[in-house]
Amino acid sequence: MPEKLLLEIKGVSKFFPGVRALDNVSFDLRKGEVHALCGENGAGKSTLMKIISGLYKADEGEIIYKGEPVAFNDSKESSSAGISIIYQELNLIPHLTVAQNIFINREPLSGFGIIVDEKKMRQDAVEILDRLNVKINPDAEVRTLPVSKQQMVEIAKALSTKSEILIMDEPTSALTENEIEELFKVISSLKNEGVGIIYISHRLEELKHIVDRISVFRDGQYISTDKFSDVTLPQIVNKMVGRDLKNQFPVRKSKPTGKKIFEVKNLNRPGKIENINFDLYEGEILGFSGLMGAGRTETARAIFGADTDVTGEVILGGKVLNIKNPREAIQNGIAYLPEDRKREGLAVNMLLFENITLANLAEVSKSFGVISRKAENQVSEKYIKDLSIKTSSDSQIVKNLSGGNQQKTVISKWLFKKSNVLIFDEPTRGIDVGAKYEIYKLLDELALNGIGIIIISSELPEILGLTDRVVVMCSGKVANILKTRETTQEQILNYAAGISSNNDN
Amino acid sequence: MTIKGNTKKLLKLNIFGEDHILQKFIAVSGLLVLLVYFSVSTNNFFTPRNFLTIGLQTTTIAFMGIGVTFAIITGGIDLSIGSVVALTGVTAGLLVKAGAPVWLAFIAALLAGLACGIINGLLITKIKLPPFIATLGMMMVARGIALQITDAKPVSGLPDAFGRLGNGTLFEIRNSAGDLQFVGIPYPVIIMIATALLFSFILTKTKIGRYTYSIGSNEEASRLSGINVNFVKIISYSICGSMSGLAGIIIMSRLVTAQPNAGVAYELDAIASAVIGGTSLMGGIGTISGTMIGAFIIGILRNGLNMQGVSSFVQQIIIGIVIIVAVGFDQLRNRKV
Repeated sequence: MPEKLLLEIKGVSKFFPGVRALDNVSFDLRKGEVHALCGENGAGKSTLMKIISGLYKADEGEIIYKGEPVAFNDSKESSSAGISIIYQELNLIPHLTVAQNIFINREPLSGFGIIVDEKKMRQDAVEILDRLNVKINPDAEVRTLPVSKQQMVEIAKALSTKSEILIMDEPTSALTENEIEELFKVISSLKNEGVGIIYISHRLEELKHIVDRISVFRDGQYISTDKFSDVTLPQIVNKMVGRDLKNQFPVRKSKPTGKKIFEVKNLNRPGKIENINFDLYEGEILGFSGLMGAGRTETARAIFGADTDVTGEVILGGKVLNIKNPREAIQNGIAYLPEDRKREGLAVNMLLFENITLANLAEVSKSFGVISRKAENQVSEKYIKDLSIKTSSDSQIVKNLSGGNQQKTVISKWLFKKSNVLIFDEPTRGIDVGAKYEIYKLLDELALNGIGIIIISSELPEILGLTDRVVVMCSGKVANILKTRETTQEQILNYAAGISSNNDN
Repeated sequence: MTIKGNTKKLLKLNIFGEDHILQKFIAVSGLLVLLVYFSVSTNNFFTPRNFLTIGLQTTTIAFMGIGVTFAIITGGIDLSIGSVVALTGVTAGLLVKAGAPVWLAFIAALLAGLACGIINGLLITKIKLPPFIATLGMMMVARGIALQITDAKPVSGLPDAFGRLGNGTLFEIRNSAGDLQFVGIPYPVIIMIATALLFSFILTKTKIGRYTYSIGSNEEASRLSGINVNFVKIISYSICGSMSGLAGIIIMSRLVTAQPNAGVAYELDAIASAVIGGTSLMGGIGTISGTMIGAFIIGILRNGLNMQGVSSFVQQIIIGIVIIVAVGFDQLRNRKV
């Protein structure tokens, strides 16, 4: 076993205003090992990686790299020192070739150092790709390659800087099983070359193929480090979760009646979701749980008519709907609060009240489509009060609001557009605890009034504290539908990570 | 430390947040500076008669500017304006020549402008062409049609009635002897005021106006809010086409001749007036009042410089600089803080 320590993190802390992102954590990496880092969202994994690569500065503690304390100022410094990061989103330029992408910004030069030596660049690219043992044409434009090959190009790019440490953040989230196998082969050969790899993944099941040691963080704190062979997956899950619910949730006043109000049958979208079936009862709050890329958002978008290549049936109040676009979904009483508020939820250059009334202008308009500013003002003041949106007035430009208040603005928009079924995708992301409580109370009231509520959430406590049932998704399919009261975080995570499947019951 | 830092950030954000008001303030100040400068330095500038002239000269840019403001707010552009001006003008001229009553010919010309706008809108929304390309194509097609149907010759010998809309005035005052005391307000100026008020109302007070802004600000969020994005865009380009048609009618009526070569590069004046008035080429921001200010800045510059005897070449240089300064503000405004 290689034993030499490549990297040592000692007592590192990082504070953001009001948040302790990392609290005295430790971590180390040996030459030629794969060390997995696991934890829920907000555990501090990414923060630590950003500290290692120099994007953030640690407030306390030290980083020892190859026996010497280091503090990189930016990712350029860390990468020239031999530390490379492959981020979850690919950072390649689609219209350049593989070789051009690998050597971007570090092109070998000739002719007085102003002409790119394409020939040498190509040769070097072939060398690196051979080392990775992958068959990729160095002259192919990156956009013509499948995602897995693009991932390999990213890795080649990282290796071309002579990396000694490779950090991989969710490298498999976009890959199919075959492609993952291919990636694992590359990881093994890198290990043999003595590269140390920090591997971040939510998919616990796949870790067993490559991981030597595993560390768990939770809420910014270091929990444990174990040899992978010494622990079981359920033990790891337990360490990741290990938190009990206090009074974050209001006592539910609503409860599901026997009346089915909404049903989804055989919903399909090629490559995204497969045969989604579930139903929703009057007064029910239904949760959707799963890992990133499990297909939860895609399911919601499919119901809402946001994407075109969808097949399947959506039944509301016994009537089969044929929804072709979001407008028809809204007309039929289905609302969808998107996950990404900046891109899909808000017109950030517009005013607060304009955003709140955007989906339901008819309600505040007189004849001939003339908007009543007075009515708009009343509506927006109501939601500013109900959701305690912090703003100077209802005429504030939305981009000047804080993230949490922006999220409350989008929620207000959909609360004002009264619907029969509300699909909220990560509704409380980035919102403080008090406001979360207010939103939970509102959802409970809506459910009490007979509105069907679907909540997609990556926060398990939220799923457990609020919902009646939870649909657990894994790899684009429904892994199981569980009764919230009879399930546990561990059970949900097991289904979400693909450790358990419906057949196990 | 952090609190101080945050406050600073907030202040900065606020200044930039209110920036379209800042931009408008700059435009209005620019307009006033021009007025004062020309009034002091040029005889006969500060007279009711010259103001009416400026008003009349500005109408064309204003019509086109109002229309293109809609297209730009949705995040698009319309390059076909000048060609549509020519096409609608010659349509009216040829119809009158063919014996149609003037009012009918004008309505037909407006409809031709509307049709051009609808086609632009359909190309942009249904075939998903970038607005630049769709309207560039329309610019060439409309110009070509205008030249083809007239054999590239001006349509002249039109009846007096053809010129009434462009040259007539309201509230003409004569004394008891029948001498002209006040020439009256030209019809085009009245139409300009009326259309500016109408479209300002549509943009700020109606649903379709609100949707125009929201699409320019965030098209995907608008779509997911149930807005019929394609319909609103088609409406915007239709307004632009119709207003170009109106400009075409007025121009040809003033000349009492329909010129297939008229209106070349007028779209650039229109876009300039919108941009000077604070409309953002990134979409989502802009007002009719701003565009009117922009149109008057260009109109007053041309008028004042003409009266000072500045050559048209130097005028081009000056107006070019004004546009660059205005767009410079647009860019500064969109720079991330």
